[in-house]
Amino acid sequence: MEISTFVNVMRDSAGIPFYPVVFQGLYVLTWALHAAFVLLALGSMGLSIYGSTQQKSDPYWKILTPHLIMTGKISVSVLIVLGVAPLLFTQVIYDSGWYVANTLSGAWVFIFIYALVIGYMMYYWYQSANKKGSSANTLIGIISFAILVFCGVLMHNFAVEAISPTKWMDWYAPNGVVDNAGWNMHLDLIRLGFMVSLMIPVTGIFMQNYSRFLSTRPDFEPKYLEFVKNLGTKMAVIGLVISAALFAVWMLKENLLFHPLSLATVASVVVLLVLAMGNKNSYVTTGILVIVALLISAVRELIRYNVMSGIGYDLYGYPMNLEWETIIMFLLTFVVLGFTGIAFILTMAWKVGKTEGVYTATEGSAVSRLANASLTLFILWIVVYFGWGMVALFKNTMGV
Amino acid sequence: MDLLGFYPLFYVPNIGSAWLMGLTGAIHIMASHTSVGAALLFAFLAHKAQKENRTDLYDYMKRYGMFLLIFSYVIGSITGPGIWYTATAASPRGISALIHNFVWVWATEWVFFVYEVLGVFALIYFMDKVDRKTHLKLTYTFAIASVGTLALIIGIISFMMWPGTEAYYTTGSASDAFFGTNTFPHMFLRIGFMIMMSGIIGMIISSAMRKENKELSEELTQKMGWVSLLGGFVTVFFFMWYIDTLPSNAHALLGLAKDSIIMNRVVLAILFSIYFSIAIMKPQWISRTLAITMMFVIGIVGVWPGEKLRETMRKPWVAGQYVYSNQIIGRDVPGKGIKSEVDLIATKGLLKVNPWIPERLRTITPENKLEVGKLLTRITCSNCHSLDKGGLYRPLIPLAGPMGEAGIKDYMKNVIGTGSSPYMPKIALPDEEYDAIAAYIASQAN
Repeated sequence: MEISTFVNVMRDSAGIPFYPVVFQGLYVLTWALHAAFVLLALGSMGLSIYGSTQQKSDPYWKILTPHLIMTGKISVSVLIVLGVAPLLFTQVIYDSGWYVANTLSGAWVFIFIYALVIGYMMYYWYQSANKKGSSANTLIGIISFAILVFCGVLMHNFAVEAISPTKWMDWYAPNGVVDNAGWNMHLDLIRLGFMVSLMIPVTGIFMQNYSRFLSTRPDFEPKYLEFVKNLGTKMAVIGLVISAALFAVWMLKENLLFHPLSLATVASVVVLLVLAMGNKNSYVTTGILVIVALLISAVRELIRYNVMSGIGYDLYGYPMNLEWETIIMFLLTFVVLGFTGIAFILTMAWKVGKTEGVYTATEGSAVSRLANASLTLFILWIVVYFGWGMVALFKNTMGV
Repeated sequence: MDLLGFYPLFYVPNIGSAWLMGLTGAIHIMASHTSVGAALLFAFLAHKAQKENRTDLYDYMKRYGMFLLIFSYVIGSITGPGIWYTATAASPRGISALIHNFVWVWATEWVFFVYEVLGVFALIYFMDKVDRKTHLKLTYTFAIASVGTLALIIGIISFMMWPGTEAYYTTGSASDAFFGTNTFPHMFLRIGFMIMMSGIIGMIISSAMRKENKELSEELTQKMGWVSLLGGFVTVFFFMWYIDTLPSNAHALLGLAKDSIIMNRVVLAILFSIYFSIAIMKPQWISRTLAITMMFVIGIVGVWPGEKLRETMRKPWVAGQYVYSNQIIGRDVPGKGIKSEVDLIATKGLLKVNPWIPERLRTITPENKLEVGKLLTRITCSNCHSLDKGGLYRPLIPLAGPMGEAGIKDYMKNVIGTGSSPYMPKIALPDEEYDAIAAYIASQAN
């Protein structure tokens, strides 16, 4: 059987509701956001485990460790919610890859969910144990960390399987004997190593930001902030060198080392390295980090596109059934309500973080205006939702 | 060669992949419904605290919030995508149908999720760090965002039961698929349950505060009793409307189990009415142990059978009454250009049109007949039946085995093959494929 027939026939018969390139773009964007928090979660958690062994004798680690644990805790929640979007977009345009990977590794899919629940619950336990000064805190942290890393390995497995269409049949029915048990596991260690290594520079740059952000707070000692900044710089520089080396090996293996996208990534990493080393303004460094994250996400997509189009998968020829009503709903919600709402919470968080004691949003301040705008938009959204629903129902049930 | 877009089959012995999905779904419902209910409750409490200057209510909200972080924002937020994952492994074409119809609705829900996740941390950790008025506005938006997540998922899960009207099949429009006759009753039924869950969980928190502040603990237990009672009433009221909006195949299945369902619901309603009344009249009797026990009771005796019932009533479909539970597309949807696959399978056979059949099994021989039969039985039946001896999920062998090989073939060909059973997919196959299935099932019964 032709492999191109095989992958094209698995496209959903309902077609897709918008242009494939839009889903592709949204995938690259949202995966980069998701990955940033995966790396920050793992990095801050890993470093906090080291901190938990130092905090009894070192006053700086005593302050930093609970902050790293809290960063990890929030990041895990954020990475989960941000991960929903790329998961959604990938199965719209590359449905064959995603669904085949899920069925070939069905048992691991189930284990993934409960491992994540247990790993994250243990993380809360780790935080609580650390707060109470329990001697078991480091051990709980290590187990939680190991479980969460294992979840990352499983996700990597699904991603690798999804881009290996020529091997699917052999994995499903080795020697022609069908195996429905769902225990397939296939890793690409170079790719995995590169992805995991990125947690070091991401956490390093986060610590540069932490130090810069708190520098205006009188209740934080400058020497402590200097300690965190230097540690962050060291991690960022060493981490970037390791990641860059692994990236080069990965690209060499994929035959993409001299591809313009790959070269652009390398150039951006060099800029990032220079900026992180100098640490003049960590917020600018973070901006470049976002670009690097987007480029890495684009490289992943390039690899997948090359694999799939190489075997005859016609991504841009995916039959389309344009769906205007719901895309308008998404765009308006995402751009208007989403941006306003998130701006409200983030601006408030920024002000709270900068204030010792209670922050009060005075009338006319940005926080107050964003709060009012968000509330108005949410109410409006609900009104439109019910109005739309009633019109659709009347139309379809009464022929109005 | 005519091929259809099937996927590999993931098979779980004894319990079936659908049970894995059901388990994750039941856990998720407890956590996610508490989350939305609690968001509404927080808005009410924060409003009261601000209006009456009751700072003690913030302590309660903070404790509740910490519980919520683990219960809803660890367990709930992971099992949410978890249902999606396990459903993908169990019914890839069912999930694909939902994704390809509703991707923008899901993407919109994602915006609300992001707001909810950032919002819950801000709501809890900024309680003492931001002025009360701003915090109150955050609480209001958080409540609407939480309800918004329900408003967006409800049309999709209602579509899983059926689109509600015929319009979708003609237009193919997501709007027509989303707003069916079932959508709003289903939504308010769940809002009632969410409010009730927020009260049930609220009692765990309030009863745990007794040592520090007995008076406040009892006042809040009483309030939670009222909240739960209100939620319970809304649930029961809309449940009746919801039942009335179900399709005929669901009523056929409901009819089979009607007496036991009614008995279960009546017993639950009496039990929980007594529990909520005690909370209102004798709040000091509600201990933390009792409150936690009642949470498990509602989960195990209320949610789990309720979800199993919803899953059962959908049969033989898994999505929009056009994708069968065994992944075959069972009807045309002209609005989307979707064609039924039943006739092609009847003519060519599953062995020829399913791309995942190894070449050596595409033609039945005396040597491979049982192996092919096993594979075909798994493909056509395992989504709804355990195939193993002693299997727990509507076990097939005790049901079909006693008919004998000829009887099984006859039943498959003349009942299932003609689509005469209201709750089983129409599985029309060439004779030799029926033979292989019948031979395999009979061999297992011996």
